Amino acid sequence: MFLDFLQWGVWALFLCPCHLTVSTPLDCRDDPGSLTRCPSISQEKLLDRVIHHAELIYRVSEELCSLFEELFIPFPLRLQSNQAGYACITKALPIPSSKSEIQEISDKWLLQSVLMLVQSWIEPLVYLQMTLDNYDHAPDMLLNKTKWVSEKLISLEQGVVALIKKMLDEELLTTVYSEPSVLQNDVQPEVLESVMKDYTLLSCFKKDAHKMETFLKLLKCRQTDKYNCA
Amino acid sequence: MKKAEGVIILWWLLFFTLHAEGTSYSLPGKPTLTNCRSPEKETFTCWWEPGSDGGLPTTYHLYYRKESSDAVHECPDYRTAGKNSCFFNKNDTSIWINYNITVVATNARGSTFSDPVEIDVVYIVKPNPPEKVTANVSWNKSWPSLRVSWDPPQKADTRSGWITLIYELRIKLEGEDKWEEHPAGQQKMYNIYSLQSGGTYLVQVRCRPDHGFWSEWSDSTYFKVPDYFPQERSIWIIIMIFSVFIFLILIWAIHMNSHTLKHHILPPVPGPKIKGFDKQLLKSGKSRDAFSSLVGSDFPPTTTNYEDLLVEYLEVYIPEEQGLMLEEGKDLHDGSLKSKSYTSDSDSGRGSCDSHALLVDKSEEEKEVGQKSNQQGGRTEMDLKRPEESPEENILNYSHANVGSPDVSCEKVKTWPSLFSPLTENSSGPLDQPDSPEMAKQHCLSDSLFPPSPLSSPFAPPGHKEVLGSNYQEYSFGNLHPQTGSHQYLRAHGNMNVANIGHKGVPADLQLPPVRSTEYVEVQKVNNENMVLLYRVSSDVEKGCPGRRHTEEYSRLKGVNNDNGLLLLQRMVSEEEMNICPYEDQESSGLTDSGYTTSTAQKSTAYIPPATQVLDERVAGGYVDTSMFTLPIY
Repeated sequence: MFLDFLQWGVWALFLCPCHLTVSTPLDCRDDPGSLTRCPSISQEKLLDRVIHHAELIYRVSEELCSLFEELFIPFPLRLQSNQAGYACITKALPIPSSKSEIQEISDKWLLQSVLMLVQSWIEPLVYLQMTLDNYDHAPDMLLNKTKWVSEKLISLEQGVVALIKKMLDEELLTTVYSEPSVLQNDVQPEVLESVMKDYTLLSCFKKDAHKMETFLKLLKCRQTDKYNCA
Repeated sequence: MKKAEGVIILWWLLFFTLHAEGTSYSLPGKPTLTNCRSPEKETFTCWWEPGSDGGLPTTYHLYYRKESSDAVHECPDYRTAGKNSCFFNKNDTSIWINYNITVVATNARGSTFSDPVEIDVVYIVKPNPPEKVTANVSWNKSWPSLRVSWDPPQKADTRSGWITLIYELRIKLEGEDKWEEHPAGQQKMYNIYSLQSGGTYLVQVRCRPDHGFWSEWSDSTYFKVPDYFPQERSIWIIIMIFSVFIFLILIWAIHMNSHTLKHHILPPVPGPKIKGFDKQLLKSGKSRDAFSSLVGSDFPPTTTNYEDLLVEYLEVYIPEEQGLMLEEGKDLHDGSLKSKSYTSDSDSGRGSCDSHALLVDKSEEEKEVGQKSNQQGGRTEMDLKRPEESPEENILNYSHANVGSPDVSCEKVKTWPSLFSPLTENSSGPLDQPDSPEMAKQHCLSDSLFPPSPLSSPFAPPGHKEVLGSNYQEYSFGNLHPQTGSHQYLRAHGNMNVANIGHKGVPADLQLPPVRSTEYVEVQKVNNENMVLLYRVSSDVEKGCPGRRHTEEYSRLKGVNNDNGLLLLQRMVSEEEMNICPYEDQESSGLTDSGYTTSTAQKSTAYIPPATQVLDERVAGGYVDTSMFTLPIY
C-alpha cells in the first residue's frame, strides 16, 4: 500500500511539472488564490494574456450583437442606442469615459475599473443566457456564443485579479457588483420589449468589452517603456 | 392674327409661370449622411449628401444628440472638413457614447430631415495613412534586400496605446498591375527579398486600428534595385556550359553503345536456329536451297503413299561408316497413326498423361510391328540426313503426343505404341520388345520450348521429312514391365522441337507437337560398331520423376541401323533436356546383350562422321532419348 502510494507520488512528481508548465497560464488564471503556485509567469505575459482575453471577448460580443440584431430586431429599430430607454447597467460605475480622464488616472484605478466592469457583467450574462433559452428560434450559435462569453468573462476576472495582485500587491476579493434593478426577472409585458431589452443588454456589454480592452491596452503601454508603445 | 398671337403669348406666359412656380415650391430633397469617420478616436467628422435643393437656396444643418441627454446640439464646425461636413473636435467628442445625428436641409419652402444615424466613435475609426515611407536597399552577401520603414500617422496616438495600429504594405514592379501584399502586424518596418535586379519598385503602406477600418494607401515610394547581374548570371553560365558538356558526353556514350543498349532494351527475339539452315538462302527466295539442308531430296514427298514411305521408315540399319540411322517403319507409322487417337492433354504443354489409353494402343501396335526386328520403338528422325542417303534418312519427326512440359513430374505414356512394336523379341537389335503393353516409362521432358500441339500433327505423312529439326529426338524406352528390367525397347519419338527449329516450309500438318517422349533410354556405351548399348530406363520412372540420371550416360539416338544398332547422336544436352525430369539412374541391369550399345563416351567419337558432326554439336553428354531423334536438318 505504501509502496503504491510512493510509486504514485513519484509519478506525480515527474508528471506534475510538465502538467504545470503546460497548463501554467491557465492555472494561474483560474486560481487566483494560488498565485504562489505559478511564479513562473511574468507580469508582462500575464498582462498580454489578459489583453488577449479581453480582445476575444470583445470580438465575440460584437458577433453576438450583430447576430442578435439580424435575427430579432426589426429593421427600423436597428440602432445602437437604447431607444427603449434602458440604460446600460454599468452606467453608474465610476469609470473614466474620455481619453483625458483615462490618461489621468493611475494604473491602479485602471485595473480597478476593469475589474469592476468584469465583475458587473458576470451575472447579467448568465441572466441573458437564461433568457435566450426561452427564445423560440434562437439558433445554437447564439446560445453557444453567449455561453462562451460568460465563461471567458469569469476567466478574465480571475486574470485581472491575479494581475492586480502581481502589479499592485493587493489582494482583492472577487466581489460581484450586481445591479438588482436590471437583473430582476421582471414581468415582461411584451415580447418586443424584452427583445429590445436583451438587445440593449448586448450592446452595452459590447461597449463595456471594448472599454475593458482599451483600458488594458493602455495599461500595457504604460508598462513598457513608459509612454512609448509606439 | 393678332388674336392668335396673343393667345399664344398668353399660353406661353401661363406655362412659364406655372413652371416657375413649380420649382420654387418644392421642399429640399432629403439629405443623407454618408459616413462619419474618426481618424484617431479623438475627433470625428460626418459627411452628408444633399438632396435636391428644390430650386431655392438650401442650407444644411447638422444636429446631434448624445446618448445620455436629450439636449440637441448643432454641429460646431462646418468648415474644417470641407463642404457638407461636420467636424467634431476633441472637446465635443465623447467616446463610448452614442451620438444621434441628423442633417436638416432647409430652404424657403421648408425643411427636410435626414434619417438619423447613430454612431459610437470607437467603432468608426479610420486612421490616416502611414507616413514617411522609406525604402532602403541593403546588400546581404551580394543579394539585395529591401527594408521598408514608415511612421504611424501623426494624429494617431499609438504611443500611449490609445490606438493600436496594424500595418500592411504592398509592392510591385513599375509597369505591372498586380501588387504583392504583405501584412506587417504592428511593426513599422518590413524586409523584402527576392528582388529583381535593376528593377524599379513601388511600395505603399496602410494601417488600421485593431477594431476599425483600413486607412487609405500611402503615396507610392519608388526605389530602384541596383543591378547585381554578374554574380548570378555567371554562375548560371558556368552551369549551362557544364551541363551541355555532360550532355554531349552522354550522347556520345549512348551512340557508342547503342547496339548494346538496344539489346538490353529490346532484346532480340531469338530466331530460329536450325542447324544447317541458311536464313540467307531463304531470304533470297530460294526455298529449295534453304531447305535442302533440312530435308532430303524427297521433300516434299511427292507421293502420298504413306505405306511406301513407312516401309522405309521401319528400316533401321547401321552403315559401316555412317552412324546409325533409325528409320521408321511402316509399323511405326501405323503406330503413330494409332497414337493419333491420343490427343494431348488439355493441360498446356503437356503430353497426354493419360497414358493408359496410349498404353493400350501401344501394345496393340507393338504387336503389330513386332515382327520387325529392327523396329524401333518409335519413329525416329534422322537427324543426320543426307539427301544422298537412302530413304532411311527420311525420318519423320513425329511429334510426340506427349508434349514435354516443364512439369516433369508427370509421367507420360509413350505416344506411340508403335514404338514398342518394333521391339519384338526377335529383334536382336538394341531394342527389346516389350513384353506387355505396359506403361512405358515415360519421362516428362521439361521442355519449355515444346509448345503443345495436337497429336494430330504427328500423323502427318510420315514420309515427310520433317523439316522441323528438333534439337534432339527423344527416345524413350518403354518399359512395359517395370519389374522386368529385361525388356527394353527403344522407343523412338520424333521429337519435334518446333520452337527450336522454327520449321520453315514444313507443312502445317507436319508441325508435330513437340511431344516429348516420355521414355528414355540410357545409353551405356557405344561399341566400336557404333552400336548403342542402351540402358533401360528403370521403373522408377513410372513413379514420376525419378532421380537424376547421369547425364553422361545418355546420348542421343540418331538412328537405328539395320542391324539393330542404334545410331546414337551425341546429344547436346540442352537446357530442356537438363530440365527433363531427372530420373534416377537406372540400374544397369537393363543391360542386355551386346545388341545394345551404350555410349559411354558422350562426346561421341564412335559415331559416324556425319553423325558425329551432328552429335558433336549436340552432345552435352547425356542420355539417349528414344524420342529424341534429331531431324535431318543438317
